[in-house]
Amino acid sequence: MKKVGIVAGSISRFDNPRHTLAEEMCAEAVKMLLDDVPDLELGDFIRKGYACCYSYFSDILEQQQCMHWIIHDYLGLSGVPAYRVESGGATPIDAVVNAALWIRSGMFPVVLVVGWEKMNELPIQKVNEAIAIAGDTDWDFVSGFTYNAFYATMEARRMHVYGDTEEDLAEVAVSNHNNSLDNPYAQWPAQHGFSKITVEDVYKSRLISWPYRLYECAMTSEGASALLLANEEMTKKLTDNPVWISGVGFGTDTMRAGDRPDNPAWKGLYPEDEKIWPKNIPKPMSPYPDLLNFGSLRVSARMAYKDAGIKNPRKEISFVEIFDPYAGVVLAGLEDFDFCKRGEGKKMVRDGVIQPHGELPCQLSGALTAQGHAVGSTSIAQVVDSYWQLSNQIGKKWGAPGRQLSKPKKAFIHGHGGTGCQAGAVVLEV
Amino acid sequence: MKQPGPEKIMKQSPYDEKWWQEWERKGGWRPEGWKIVEMNDGPTLNDLKPQKFLVVHRPHGSMFHHSYGKVSQFFIGLLEGKLYGTKCPKCGLVYCPPRAHCFNPKCRLAETKWIELPKKGEVHSYTIMAIAWPSMAHLQPLVGAMIRIDGTNTCLPMTMRDVDPEKVNIGLRVNISIVKDPKGDLLDVYATPAEEPVAPKRTPQELKRFREDMEKTRAWVKKTFGTK
Repeated sequence: MKKVGIVAGSISRFDNPRHTLAEEMCAEAVKMLLDDVPDLELGDFIRKGYACCYSYFSDILEQQQCMHWIIHDYLGLSGVPAYRVESGGATPIDAVVNAALWIRSGMFPVVLVVGWEKMNELPIQKVNEAIAIAGDTDWDFVSGFTYNAFYATMEARRMHVYGDTEEDLAEVAVSNHNNSLDNPYAQWPAQHGFSKITVEDVYKSRLISWPYRLYECAMTSEGASALLLANEEMTKKLTDNPVWISGVGFGTDTMRAGDRPDNPAWKGLYPEDEKIWPKNIPKPMSPYPDLLNFGSLRVSARMAYKDAGIKNPRKEISFVEIFDPYAGVVLAGLEDFDFCKRGEGKKMVRDGVIQPHGELPCQLSGALTAQGHAVGSTSIAQVVDSYWQLSNQIGKKWGAPGRQLSKPKKAFIHGHGGTGCQAGAVVLEV
Repeated sequence: MKQPGPEKIMKQSPYDEKWWQEWERKGGWRPEGWKIVEMNDGPTLNDLKPQKFLVVHRPHGSMFHHSYGKVSQFFIGLLEGKLYGTKCPKCGLVYCPPRAHCFNPKCRLAETKWIELPKKGEVHSYTIMAIAWPSMAHLQPLVGAMIRIDGTNTCLPMTMRDVDPEKVNIGLRVNISIVKDPKGDLLDVYATPAEEPVAPKRTPQELKRFREDMEKTRAWVKKTFGTK
C-alpha cells in the first residue's frame, strides 16, 4: 500500500464576517501553501496527472450549487480531475480521508485538498436552519429542535447516566478558548481579544439550549484551508519535513438520534459496554451508543487505529483534535476514541489530561468553539494545525513558539456530521 | 404492464396558491438594496489590511410540494387526531417515526404493517430551549424531549407543554396530544406530564443559575412579544 504524506498545509483565518469571497479565501490559502512548496507548479496538476478534492458543506448558505467548480476555475486548475466531498460536518475530514485513499490507490501521486465555508450571508436563524436541515426534515427538523437542542438532549442524558456536570462542560469551553489565544487563524481572539476566560465567564454567556451555553457551542465562521497530500516518492521530493497520514477511518450511525437506543443493527455489537450499564436506569436494546455516545466516532477511530497499527491509543497518541460543535462531544469523544472507558471522559477533563501541558493535549487550536467552524474548512484546518505541531512549525506559522509541543510523535484528528450520523478520523505521524 | 394513471385528489385543505406564487416571484434574486462596507481582512491576524466590500440584499424563496410517501398514514392519522406507527411482521420492532421497510438487518427490508399507538410514553432525554425556532420563540423557555411512545423501539422528538422546565426529567411519564388544528407535520404533536414530575438533582449554584436563565429567557419573551 502506498504511504501518504502531508507536504504542506495552510489556513485563511476563521472570522465572521470575512466578506471576502469563497474563491478568494481559497486562493489566499493555496497561495500560502505554494509559498511552502517552491518545487510545485499549479501547471503540474494537469501535466503530471494530479487531482483536487474539495470540501464545503452547504449549497444553501450561499445559494450556490457546485461552488467547487468556481473555486477550481479560480485557482486556474480547469481540466484537472476534481470533485467535491459532502457529508455534513464530516465533510472536511472525509475530504482528507478521501484524498488519502486516492493516493493509496495509486491513481494520483499528488492531491490538493481545499475546504471553505461562507456562513454570514443569511440571518443567523436561517443559518441555523440551513444546518438543521442536515437532520431529517420530516422527523427531526420539524419537531422545533435545532442541532443545539439535539446535542443538548444527548448531553442531558449523559448527565443522568454518567454524571457529567455543567462544570465539566464549562471546563472544556475554557480550555478551548484559552488555547485559541495564540492562534492567528482563530475567530475567538479576532472578535473578543486576547484575555483568558474562566468557568464564570462561560456561566455568564447566554443559555442556548440547556445544558449548553453560548461559549460551549461552535461559532459560525467564514474561512478556508488547504492541504497538499502526496505519495511517498513525491512527498520526499517536495519537502524535507514531512508528516505521514498513517491511518484513516470513517463510520456512520442512524440518521435520527432517536432511533439509536433500540437500533437492531447495534444490538449485541459491544457486549463489554452492556456490562457497565447502571442498574437503576432501564437498559435499552443497544446500550452503546444510546443517546450517550457517538457510535460513528468509535467505528471511525477503531478503523483508523487498526490502519495505523495503534494498539493503545492513550499511550501512543501525542495530542488530539476533536470536532466539538458542542463541549459535550469532547467528553463523549474521549470515550468513543478509546482514550478512557465510557462515562470517564469527564475524569480526563477534571484531571487536566487534556490541557496543553497534560498527558493528552486536546483542542490545541481552540477547535470549533474558539478557532471557529467554517464547516468545509474546519477539520482540514485542524489537520493543518496538527501537521504544523508534528513538523515543528508552530513557532513559524502561529508566531507562538511557546505553543510548540516538545517532539510530538502521533496526532489523532476526528470529524463528524449530523448528530454523529457520519464520522471520519485520521492518524498523523512524523 | 399497466400505467399508474394520474394523481387523484381525495381531499385537500385550503391553500392560497396565488399568494405564494407572488411571494416566489418577489423573492427572485434582484437586490432589494446594498451597502458598501470597509473592514480589515487578510488570511491571518498578523496580516490584516483595510478593504472595501459591496454587500447586496438578495432575496429568494419557494414553495415545496412534499409527499410523505408510504409513511403518509402517520400524518393522515394526525389530521384525524390519531397516532400511528409501523410494526415489522418478522422481528416485531415498532417504529415511530414509522418506516415502510424494517431496518433490522435480519429482516431484509421487510415491508411493515400499520398499527395505532397509545398516546402515552416516557421522556428518554430532554432539553430546555432558550433559542427555539423563530415561529416558536414566544414559547421560550421551551422544553424539547425525546419521547419513547409506549410499545415502540424509537424516540420521537417533540415539545412539551404544561411542565415546569425545572422539573422535567428523564423517565417522566407523559401523555401525547395532537393539536386542535393539525397542519400535517410533527409540530402537531406535543407531550404533557402524566404524573407529578420529580426534578433532576442540581447543586444550589446550578439551581440558582438555572432559575436566573429561565427568568432572563421569560423577560426577553415578555419584552419582545408582550406575553407570558
